[in-house]
Amino acid sequence: MLDLKLEDIDGILVRYNVALEKEMTPDEAAEELYPKDELIYPIAKSIYEGEEEDVVDGLKAAIAAGKKPIDLINDALMIGMGVVSKLYDDGIIFLPNVMMSADAMLNGIEFCKSQTTEVPEPKGTVVCHVAEGDVHDIGKNIVAALLRAAGYDVTDLGRDVPVDEVIEAVVKDKPILLTGTALMTTTMYAFKEINDKLLEKGLKLPFACGGGAVNQDFVAQYDLGVYGEEASDAVKIADAILASGNDIEKLRAEFHKH
Amino acid sequence: MVKKYTSMAYAKADDMLFGNSKYPVKAGLGLEIGAGYTTPELNYAPRPQAGKSKDKLIKEYERITTDAMARMVQIGAPSIVLETEHVEQMSNNPDWGGAVAHAQKTIMEEYHDEYGIKCALRHTIGDIREDRDYLQLRGDKYTTFMEAFEQCAQNGADMLSVESMGGKEVFDYSILRNDTAGILFGIGVLGSMDMEMIWSDIADIAKKNGVVAAGDTDCAQANTAMFIAGGLLDKNLAHTTAIVARAISASRSLCAYEAGATGPGKDCGYENTIIKSISGVPIAQEGKTSTCAHSDVMGNLTMQCCDLWSNESVEYHGEFGGTTVQCWSETLAYDCSMMNTALKLGKGKDLRDILTLSDKYRDPQGYVLAYDNAYKVGQAIAKDGNNNYLRSKNAAIECCNIVEEGINSGKLRLTRFETNALAKVKADLVALTDDADKFMSESLTKYKQEVAVFRPENYGL
Repeated sequence: MLDLKLEDIDGILVRYNVALEKEMTPDEAAEELYPKDELIYPIAKSIYEGEEEDVVDGLKAAIAAGKKPIDLINDALMIGMGVVSKLYDDGIIFLPNVMMSADAMLNGIEFCKSQTTEVPEPKGTVVCHVAEGDVHDIGKNIVAALLRAAGYDVTDLGRDVPVDEVIEAVVKDKPILLTGTALMTTTMYAFKEINDKLLEKGLKLPFACGGGAVNQDFVAQYDLGVYGEEASDAVKIADAILASGNDIEKLRAEFHKH
Repeated sequence: MVKKYTSMAYAKADDMLFGNSKYPVKAGLGLEIGAGYTTPELNYAPRPQAGKSKDKLIKEYERITTDAMARMVQIGAPSIVLETEHVEQMSNNPDWGGAVAHAQKTIMEEYHDEYGIKCALRHTIGDIREDRDYLQLRGDKYTTFMEAFEQCAQNGADMLSVESMGGKEVFDYSILRNDTAGILFGIGVLGSMDMEMIWSDIADIAKKNGVVAAGDTDCAQANTAMFIAGGLLDKNLAHTTAIVARAISASRSLCAYEAGATGPGKDCGYENTIIKSISGVPIAQEGKTSTCAHSDVMGNLTMQCCDLWSNESVEYHGEFGGTTVQCWSETLAYDCSMMNTALKLGKGKDLRDILTLSDKYRDPQGYVLAYDNAYKVGQAIAKDGNNNYLRSKNAAIECCNIVEEGINSGKLRLTRFETNALAKVKADLVALTDDADKFMSESLTKYKQEVAVFRPENYGL
């Protein structure tokens, strides 16, 4: 076959990611962010490494040294996950690392809960679902994992969720945010029905929608809709609600980029 | 009867070319796919509210079909394939799918009769074999699933396809955790088992109704990996991991042709060049003309060996230049006109190489799928063609070797992250057993424990 000379390739394409790759390795970057406390450090590091058993071992050691299990959720597990989230946001580590760290962190939270009768202070609940008629749920699974990793309680309704079931969950759990994902143009129409039924009941909360065929123009057609382009936007939207309230126009101003 | 491929359809990679397949397929109204010319394949999605009723949906597809056929004759395109990917209502209610096929084919026949335009209708049935919580590959929905093929075949569809989902529950879990064995198990083992089952049945339905059992795609898995991997700057999945999933998917999608399908393979099967090298079936591909549906990093390269050239999918609505199906069918048709001109002038291979080279060094995915390297992956599959596990593993290892060669040549430039991910995947693969039974046993134990939604009975296990 024909071929290009090595020196000709740069005129045809540019690997911007190669050109811009940071010198520091992910491990080195993580090391700079870990807390220095000798009991917390191994827990945070084990979360970054996604090692569930090491996280529990670290928690046991901290509890044995006098730390309260309930405090370790915020003071160790969330701190470790914060390191991971920052590295992901900075483009230093990739999504699978976050997912494995989230698994390790959630396992750690369950362990802490099992060691105490105290109940952790909730940050807020988010209800997640995949539109009725749609079974494509990997996007929703990523959204749910990232939200949990950020400390939110997630009610995961699963996929192919009937409209009325979504409404019931919102009534019952009083979330700060509802998320919906869809891959197909014909299933995402359910978002509008959910929007209308929520408003009929006087329930006004941000409804973050995204996924395959979903676009900003469609989501902006219904009153509660806030478009999320990336799975990680769900966390940013939830954080924005906690920080500045649930005004949908404000959220749209921040997250509607097109 | 499943007959596995153990040799290559083409003696050498250079024999592969767009518009030409070893085994052309006659379909529809005067069309022969892979018989020396390329044909546009238009794909579309109805507007959101069109799914509210059967009548609304039929009307929507009538508008789509008429618009597209009218534009094709307006610009003098000699041939067109329309592909209707079912919305769930059409597969869950097989009579809906049949009615849409009938309505579309009626319009296409009118255009064929009046203008002589060669055309065919592909219906891609939705893989509806699941419920809220689990895949239900062999459960109650299987009957409905097959009935959907039957209804479409009886009512006007010329080619039958599906984007099947076998193995996706394990794959989805594994791809987000860099679990190489799980990716291989989901696509190469579970996916292949399901493909062999469904495509034997689809081929029977096609044969009974005198239509074409066309082919499948690993959209549910390899494309999921490709989309998560995204563009050059995205940080969700290493592109080197995504291309390993793709190489494995060729072994899996090949099972359709081993079970009786004849092509053309589905457009979004980016593994299709590998499959063509082994099987010689015609293939549909998509690339720069499917930017309406998604972005990829090999928009020209995928055209290299296509027989049908597709836009993947576009929602039906108005644009400045007409409706979307008119705009995109026109773009596809002009691309095909360019390829067909090159073929007539004896310049087909030059154009093929230009298309390939314009993307080959952009990304490891395009590098491996470049036809010369795709052929090597094909050889790795055919070498152990009778063993779904071993050939999938071969494909994955060959893929890693090809990327390493590219890096060593200096032409394929990757980030350290991608290089490290490649090294991890290769080390994982090399450590795996060559014994398919042992791999199956170990994987069953592991994923029954780790993946809550994995049900071995879906695969007869």
